Amino acid sequence: MSSVDEASRLVIEGMSRSFGETRALTSATLRLSPGEIHSLVGENGSGKSTLIKILSGVLQPDSGTLIWEGDVKRLGSPSSAQRMGIATVFQETLIAPEMTVRDNIYLGTDGLFRYGHRKGEEIAGGRQALSDLGLDELDLERPMWTLSLAERQLTTVARAIIRPWRLLVLDEATSALDARQRNRLFDYLRLARSQGKSILFTSHRMDEVLELADRITVLRQGATVATMGASEASRRGILGHMSGREAHAHADVVAGAQTRSRRGGERQQSPPPRPVLRVEELTLRPASKPISMEVGVGQILGLAGLEGQGQVEFVECLCGLRRPSSGHVLAVGDNGQSRSVRSYRGANRLGIRYVPRDRRHEGLFGPLSVFDNFAVTLWGDFNRLGLLRGQQARKRFADFAESSRLVSASPRRPISILSGGNQQKVLLGRWIAMRPRVLVVNDPLRGVDANTKEELYGLFRRLAADGVAIIFLSTEIVELLTLTDQIAVFHEGSLVAMLPTEMSSDTDVVAVMFGDDQHHGAAHG
Amino acid sequence: MALLMASVVSDQAQRPAPSVPAVRQILRRNSYAAVPLALLIVLFVVNAAVQPQFLAENSWATSMSVLCPTVLTAMAMTLPVLSGNGGIDLSVGPLAGFMTVLISTVLVPAGITTPLLIIPIVVVFGLLSGAINGLLVAYVRLPAIIATLGMYLFYEGLGTEVLPQAGGNVPVWLVKLNGSFGPVPAVWVVFAVIALVWTLVSRGSYPRNLLAVGGDERAAYTAGVNVARLRLITYSIGGLLACLAGLMLTGLIQGGDGTVGPPYTISAITAVALGGISLAGGRGGLIGGALGGGVLFLIQELLTDAHISVYQVSVVDGIILIFALALNGTVEHLRRRSYASRHR
Repeated sequence: MSSVDEASRLVIEGMSRSFGETRALTSATLRLSPGEIHSLVGENGSGKSTLIKILSGVLQPDSGTLIWEGDVKRLGSPSSAQRMGIATVFQETLIAPEMTVRDNIYLGTDGLFRYGHRKGEEIAGGRQALSDLGLDELDLERPMWTLSLAERQLTTVARAIIRPWRLLVLDEATSALDARQRNRLFDYLRLARSQGKSILFTSHRMDEVLELADRITVLRQGATVATMGASEASRRGILGHMSGREAHAHADVVAGAQTRSRRGGERQQSPPPRPVLRVEELTLRPASKPISMEVGVGQILGLAGLEGQGQVEFVECLCGLRRPSSGHVLAVGDNGQSRSVRSYRGANRLGIRYVPRDRRHEGLFGPLSVFDNFAVTLWGDFNRLGLLRGQQARKRFADFAESSRLVSASPRRPISILSGGNQQKVLLGRWIAMRPRVLVVNDPLRGVDANTKEELYGLFRRLAADGVAIIFLSTEIVELLTLTDQIAVFHEGSLVAMLPTEMSSDTDVVAVMFGDDQHHGAAHG
Repeated sequence: MALLMASVVSDQAQRPAPSVPAVRQILRRNSYAAVPLALLIVLFVVNAAVQPQFLAENSWATSMSVLCPTVLTAMAMTLPVLSGNGGIDLSVGPLAGFMTVLISTVLVPAGITTPLLIIPIVVVFGLLSGAINGLLVAYVRLPAIIATLGMYLFYEGLGTEVLPQAGGNVPVWLVKLNGSFGPVPAVWVVFAVIALVWTLVSRGSYPRNLLAVGGDERAAYTAGVNVARLRLITYSIGGLLACLAGLMLTGLIQGGDGTVGPPYTISAITAVALGGISLAGGRGGLIGGALGGGVLFLIQELLTDAHISVYQVSVVDGIILIFALALNGTVEHLRRRSYASRHR
């Protein structure tokens, strides 16, 4: 390995970039070889996204050198990066919703007036790319807005891989995918690696990093702190480099996830908790089996399933955003009286609060301040004769910022300057501050780093201890095993199993997710 | 790349032809135009029913001439709106009005009367004026509504300064362009030329780039579209269409008038909304603007026939604008709901 420099496809040295007073990147170093899958890891705000934006030509660095296949280069725009052979899939699924899948895939390959490809080439290449990613059935002429989140994300991957790339950069490109889709993508990446191509990816799923990467580069506070071979890396070691703190704390996190020792003991002794939410004979689709269940005070119910198996529809029914095919959702009051949930407003009045998944589109007000984003739901309670009572809201914000360890320059700054994890904290805090009876969260930790995740777990646990029932939909099984009391698994629009978390392993959950019949007996328990 | 294409070609050979026929694809891509087209047909029938002279040959040509500037300014407005990010070109009306002044009090008195000179001058003027809008919006990054309002005031002031009332001279061929060749209204020839040019442009990638930039400019930018240059060109084409509207208007009013232009800005916005085009950008097409212009014209025909005063017409225009926006939203909502119900 003495000739690393000549063999490197990409060398980045001393890359830095500031936004106003925020130094997003201070000194990033990175080396990528041909035929290598390289993972870039770091907490939120460590500079990963900034580095990736520089690599893709979206941002210009303040200083530092970029050597591409032996030559020093400057990437002036996304199209110049693509012409060089660097294709990027961005963290946010960037699509033109009114256009077709094919238009979205081939977007940017044209001149302003002349197409870059003939239509036949686009159809053939688009189909090939989609089938490489496991979307053989997807109609290329479908409008983009009709696709599921996972299909949209895979379409943005297809957009990258139809370009003649030698380096593919994936920034959290698997966050919306289910296990099957992810494995399919990984197979494709491994195949590309064997053809001498290079891949740089970021992921907050440590198992993905360890499974896929040949080498791992760790960023912390805008600087590269370590690069290691994946074979010599351990979860513990990586997490330690990422946080710069003692590695033991993280080891406990991981151990906790595996042993699920959470609160099993105390729960077995206590009588079943008083129900706050009851689902009666609810069917999600005309052909699916009816679902009946109860969620009690302080319970955390996990929802699992492969992409599009009904768990999202179920969540939407619970909070009144969708009418079920048949059946009811009932909120049970303190006096035992139950009232039917018929609309989103009705659900809110009954104390059912929903935290949406796609934070950019469904939840955040980009230009408003951190505090305003937090307080927007509170003004209904905190006003007198229409005049806002800011003092109380500010106090709740201070409490929340304290308990969630929210890192923010000032609550008056626009929320858009916060990192993704911190934005998610504020979004969660907004609903928590409303003191809900039932909190329904849709994949709340998507794209959140390990340490923030641990802080948010704590937040959820404290809420549950205070008596809030939590319905927790997640694409990460390990998350469900760490946090929940029971896991409801969906398959083809039906609830197929209700697994007690203490007695389940991730293989159990995965087996049911894939429709393994042996577990069906546990359904409707 | 060669390797990729090789595998792709062999794969293609085994597959049947795409299941969606080309016609259905075209319909699907232009589905936004269904509502304005239906409105246009209904209004046409209603007009024909209540006004017996509506279909008469001589009034037909006149109607088309009156319609022409409305449609062209609507088309000029359409493209900036489609480009998204608050895209709009308020200057289309006054620019068209200023064209009448420029032609009748500057070009014709200077002896420039031949179409071979006037048309290129109008085209270049339009492209340059639109390019100024485009530069301000795409490179200086002013909000389009402010930048083009500036241009609106500029042309309005300049036009009324030079010619505060009707006046000036026009070449005969321009007046004839508002007459008819036999049974065919001459305006149709103009529409046909524009349709031909636009069809050629549409065979290329410009509409795709435009809708992508309007749909999500970050998606377009990161995918490699030169967003700023696309907007510059889009506003330029808008300026060109506005100046063509001015050219036709000169023939219609048989002279110049500094005050004739500004109302066309509002009618163009209304027409764009009536044409099923999302004012947020990214959904619609040039044909929508044209259809919307036609719909608006037919509504005004009915109002004129009912002897409604000019001021009342303005009231009705306001109501139509709001109605059109609400209609857009409703159609959009129904479209998504019907899709969702078909695929559950």
